[in-house]
Amino acid sequence: MIVCVAVVGHQNNPLYIQSFTEADDALKLHHIVHSSLDVVDERVNNPRKSGPTLNETFLGLLYPTENYKVYGYLTNTKVKFILVTTDLDVRDADVRNFFRRFHAAYVDAVSNPFHVPGKKIISRTFADRVSTIVKSFGLSSAD
Amino acid sequence: MGREVSESCIDSLLTEMVTTYCNRFYANKPELAARRIEAIGFQVGHQLSERYTMERPRFSDHLEAIKFICKDFWSELFKKQIDNLKTNHRGTFVLQDNRFRWLTHLSLDPTTENTEDPNGRSENKGAQVASMHLYFPCGIIRGALSNLGIPCAVSADISNLPQCSFVIRIKA
Repeated sequence: MIVCVAVVGHQNNPLYIQSFTEADDALKLHHIVHSSLDVVDERVNNPRKSGPTLNETFLGLLYPTENYKVYGYLTNTKVKFILVTTDLDVRDADVRNFFRRFHAAYVDAVSNPFHVPGKKIISRTFADRVSTIVKSFGLSSAD
Repeated sequence: MGREVSESCIDSLLTEMVTTYCNRFYANKPELAARRIEAIGFQVGHQLSERYTMERPRFSDHLEAIKFICKDFWSELFKKQIDNLKTNHRGTFVLQDNRFRWLTHLSLDPTTENTEDPNGRSENKGAQVASMHLYFPCGIIRGALSNLGIPCAVSADISNLPQCSFVIRIKA
């Protein structure tokens, strides 16, 4: 189950962060997202030879914690997407698929002429779309 | 699945935008009008670059990003690529389009451009009007590049129409 997704701007400013848990652990999840940003920077500045293809937008598993797995994605425009999940057995293809759909939703949201670039995304349509994508995560890769 | 817009609509919109800004909002301040039109282009380029770089590996250097502008970005906008790309390898790039789409429907006579005659002033005005129409595409290029993390200044040169050159100077 996905517990948290976040969009972080190129100056590490939060653009959108949403948790999907019943419990009151938003702060903990925000902390996990926050600490993952350093891992993203490290990944980008010192690309591993054996890792995913050079300069691919999908950064793969950033780091596992006791209960969570954190995945990252960095667009060409230096916007970071972070995904926190409790699933222990996650297929790479599912995560890639998730990020692809999430990126499409993000692009549509920032193409709104009333959206100010670099400011938080406040859009119900975007929030609804994100929760649909989150709900369908891992169900099937039909899309 | 991309949505498309009629070309004539875009042409009319661009012409109307330029006239409105030059003759109504900032009638006596062409440089202010130019800045506003450029800013609109900037926002458009900013948003388009986000969309067109989806599902594409990140660019490793400036040249790769400029090549993206010349090839894929230009194809999406104008259904053709930039015809010629020159660079001095020190941050200046010249993108030359031999037949720039947004100028082809402006009725300027390119043959009279260089002649010296008493009507020189009105032709000068023609070139001025044409250059007003170029602030928008300049803004698009600047917006796209700055969203890709490359701050730059873009200007346009139309000394021999319908050829059009965009000069990109990357800020160090």
